[in-house]
Amino acid sequence: MPELEVTFTVTVMKSVTLQEVNLNSTLCNYYFFSVNSKFINMIMQDGNKVLSTEIVTQTLEAIKRKQVEKYHKAPAAEREAIECNPYTIFHQALENCKPVIGLANIQKGSRTYQVPIPLTEKRRRFLAMKWIITECRDNKHRRTHMYEKLSQELLSAFANEGNVIKRKHELHKMAEANRAYAHFRWW
Amino acid sequence: MAVTGAGIEALLSRLLSRERGKPILRPNKPLVLKDEVANKKTEKGEASCITEMSILMACWKKKDFNSSLCSKEISDFYSCVGRAERRKARQQAAVGQGKKMLPKQANVLLKRYPNLGKEI
Repeated sequence: MPELEVTFTVTVMKSVTLQEVNLNSTLCNYYFFSVNSKFINMIMQDGNKVLSTEIVTQTLEAIKRKQVEKYHKAPAAEREAIECNPYTIFHQALENCKPVIGLANIQKGSRTYQVPIPLTEKRRRFLAMKWIITECRDNKHRRTHMYEKLSQELLSAFANEGNVIKRKHELHKMAEANRAYAHFRWW
Repeated sequence: MAVTGAGIEALLSRLLSRERGKPILRPNKPLVLKDEVANKKTEKGEASCITEMSILMACWKKKDFNSSLCSKEISDFYSCVGRAERRKARQQAAVGQGKKMLPKQANVLLKRYPNLGKEI
């Protein structure tokens, strides 16, 4: 990777007004670039990459704003625990949403059984992202913006709550219920 | 009836001829080799990592599906899955270099060098 001059504008909330987040820093954060760009591609519709990158940057900004607000409202003792970096929140929320075990439809005789199978890292990441996006598209109020819905969902996933986490748990429960069929796998 | 090279034509003419009663072969399609090999049924392996999976599920049942309390079982499961995948990859590579080719690999080669049906 070539050396890049990256300039960050420090967002300081000393007064009431917030300064703008430097949009360059979003795309230059190599640690999350690959995960972020996958997420951006999955949100994209009709090839409108500009719109989907905008949505994701607005999501990260919204997460940052909410967390900084929480930080300033909290007493000094709790301030350490509040995570303000939107990248770590996004990453941790995604990790919390990833299922450990998946289900596959395997036909044996005339019946199809739901068999618990191990998932590859790629598949787990894809499922987590897909669930977050579909949850935001389908189950939220029509008039809220996508970035708003996404930030809400990501923050609750970060705290291990919310519908996506619930969906992951349901998948785990189904897998556990069908553990007798695990031998139907042949790979 | 393993006959090689020039003997094949002689054998075929014997099988198709009507001189000794009914012919043995009655081909409904032309006797030409296809550019692919039939797919053989692969041996069905065994499901990998079942013990790790069952341990994980037992832990889940006890801890009410709280994944953070079962982190050791989860990491064991992942390491087992990783080992199984690497084993499978090694096996696939080994089959490719062994004596017998997989039907898929043979088909790829045959497609690249097909039988010439017409004179070029």
